[in-house]
Amino acid sequence: MNIIGPDTLVFGVDDVDACEEYLKDYGLESVGDGQFIALDGTSVIVAHKDDPSLPEPLASGSMLRKTIYGVADQATLDAIAAELDKDRTVKVLDNGSLEAQDDAGFVLGFQVTIRKPLSMPAEQINAPGASSMRGFNSLGVEKLATPKPRSLSHVVYFVPDFAKLEAFYSQRLGFVTTDRFSHVGPFMRPAGTHDHHTLFFIETPPHMQGCEHFTFHMAGPTEVVQAGTNMVNKGYQSFWGPGRHIMGSNWFWYFKSPFGCHIEYDADMDLHDEHWTAREMLPGADNSQTFLLEFREKWAPGGPPQQ
Amino acid sequence: MVLLCHIDDIPEGAAKGFDPLQEGRDSLFVVRQGATLYAYRDLCPHYGETALPWRKDGYLDGAGQHIVCASHGARFEIDTGLCISGPCRGQTLTGITLEVTATGQVLAHL
Repeated sequence: MNIIGPDTLVFGVDDVDACEEYLKDYGLESVGDGQFIALDGTSVIVAHKDDPSLPEPLASGSMLRKTIYGVADQATLDAIAAELDKDRTVKVLDNGSLEAQDDAGFVLGFQVTIRKPLSMPAEQINAPGASSMRGFNSLGVEKLATPKPRSLSHVVYFVPDFAKLEAFYSQRLGFVTTDRFSHVGPFMRPAGTHDHHTLFFIETPPHMQGCEHFTFHMAGPTEVVQAGTNMVNKGYQSFWGPGRHIMGSNWFWYFKSPFGCHIEYDADMDLHDEHWTAREMLPGADNSQTFLLEFREKWAPGGPPQQ
Repeated sequence: MVLLCHIDDIPEGAAKGFDPLQEGRDSLFVVRQGATLYAYRDLCPHYGETALPWRKDGYLDGAGQHIVCASHGARFEIDTGLCISGPCRGQTLTGITLEVTATGQVLAHL
């Protein structure tokens, strides 16, 4: 099934004003009705937790109310409807999208993707031995910049039984497992993307079920660190990073948020195809990152400024 | 005993973080409800080394009814520190004893 990846995450939150301010500071653009979009149109939607238009919450009280996947075309949508209709309720909403639950009770949506094709360079670097990427007189960094998230990258769920969900997403929706942490869960990608993962599960007790984090792709590591630095300077609290993961190779920086989950910036994730063989690693700090840095205030060596 | 602030520095129904040992980040926080103050170490019992707020002084939910850890949304009772939902359900924040002087100075027993 040609599912491309998450188009939109829908949250029902406690403090709408704080969440909206957070997403603007994160770099998404407000387009009204609680929707905040990245450069390719993928988005986060914020509503109050008591908004009757939202799907029912999970028993855990997680603020994530719905994950809406973008698919290639109407034929894919029809195929998903036919598949899921075998054993569960599939609603067709007024906008033509589908709504159904996965085998853990997460509410999913499916729509013909709203993603706009992007044509922008990745972060350009120069290195001895490589043909020049950036070219003469093209500068690598700005002192001050406000990088914009490009595309909704992935969502991570706390789940009570990762094997059950891995089976659902692979057998029913055509996702592929690219790598896994033993006893924790798999990294999965749908058939319509080569990204290392758009979905990752962390097995936890049932009362924790919900969203652990979500993230948008940036142009490269400089944007991850510059956008994260902007967040720190606005008073937001770093949770983990900046650093670089091993599985997926993506640069990361996670922040705490008023969404009851972490919100990350990521960049430069590995791409895979059918020739890849999934790896398995033990969970823990050593296999979670190649290195881990930590923010500190700007500083420079040298004595006091000359009078 | 370490001086944190004057009681009027903490708005009614709000929370405030403090760094009394000058470690570079807040290590405890105080919640004010009327004339009553509650103080806890700024560490979520889930991982044991993660501070709670998503930004400076962001310890409470929107309605000011519960203490919230912004990592995974764990909720705690303000008066007991007991986690009532989230990863560390049933565990408790580490309380800190406060003393308020006759002039309203707030002191912490560390």
